[in-house]
Amino acid sequence: MPDTVSNIGEVEFGSELPSFAPDTSTDNTKRFGKYVGWDSPRFTDHEGARKEGLPGAIVPGVLSQGFLGAMIHRWAPEAEIIAIDTVFRAPVLADTPHTITGTVTDIDEDEGTVEIDITITNEAGENRVFGTATAKLPT
Amino acid sequence: MAEAEKVDDDIQDLRDRFLNSEFDEVTFEIDGERVAQYALACGETSPKFTDPGHDDFQAPPTFVSTLVGRRNMPSDFPDLGGMGMDAGKGVEWKAPVRAGETLTGRSHLHDIYTKTGRSGRMVFLVTRMELFDSSGTHVANADTRTVIREKIRA
Repeated sequence: MPDTVSNIGEVEFGSELPSFAPDTSTDNTKRFGKYVGWDSPRFTDHEGARKEGLPGAIVPGVLSQGFLGAMIHRWAPEAEIIAIDTVFRAPVLADTPHTITGTVTDIDEDEGTVEIDITITNEAGENRVFGTATAKLPT
Repeated sequence: MAEAEKVDDDIQDLRDRFLNSEFDEVTFEIDGERVAQYALACGETSPKFTDPGHDDFQAPPTFVSTLVGRRNMPSDFPDLGGMGMDAGKGVEWKAPVRAGETLTGRSHLHDIYTKTGRSGRMVFLVTRMELFDSSGTHVANADTRTVIREKIRA
């Protein structure tokens, strides 16, 4: 499968989306905090997060969910994400590398929709966030 | 609920009392700069999401998860005895959310269910905010799933 797809006919069942390294930096969580919200120290400052009992600053869950959506749009720029469900299994620590992977688990060519499983994994290979999405592509 | 299974009596009581009753209504002004900065932070690259001057500028579907109501639970919902943790977010997208719009969000408890693990019972509360634009068009649902890791008091 190509790195990007433009219509449902280019999608193959079981294929993997190009992996995506989200920006988990505290610079990014600070920007998110400034413009969007979630500007508590637990998200923007390692020392402040440790004072709350966390191992360090963590990425807001709503930002992790947004990473998943961005990954789908990078793979299928014309896609409309019509549903996405995200399970926060464990914190995503800021300033640590993470990788997002995705797999096409179903295709409905009549409806023009694909189902995708998506996972955010840390360097130890531990799943931190899991999502399922339904995206509609041009037929 | 996703699966048909036996529901504990105390949970069934909560379901009967609280599901599908609206407990909050709030309006949101959709600011283009906030939308664009959200998209950039997420890693979106399409100007449709990152450039407020684009002809088709709109919020990424997950943006609605950032719209927070005045409360997450009905005011008379009982204290279940444990600390609530954010277990997940869900979005159902129905129509584009565009800058300059005023959305109305109406919240209700959409589901209450349990899972039992080694540490005991966990109660999951799903709060759904239904979002409507100024013409009344239903543009999205934003779900927040809260988990409470403690045995509920009867």
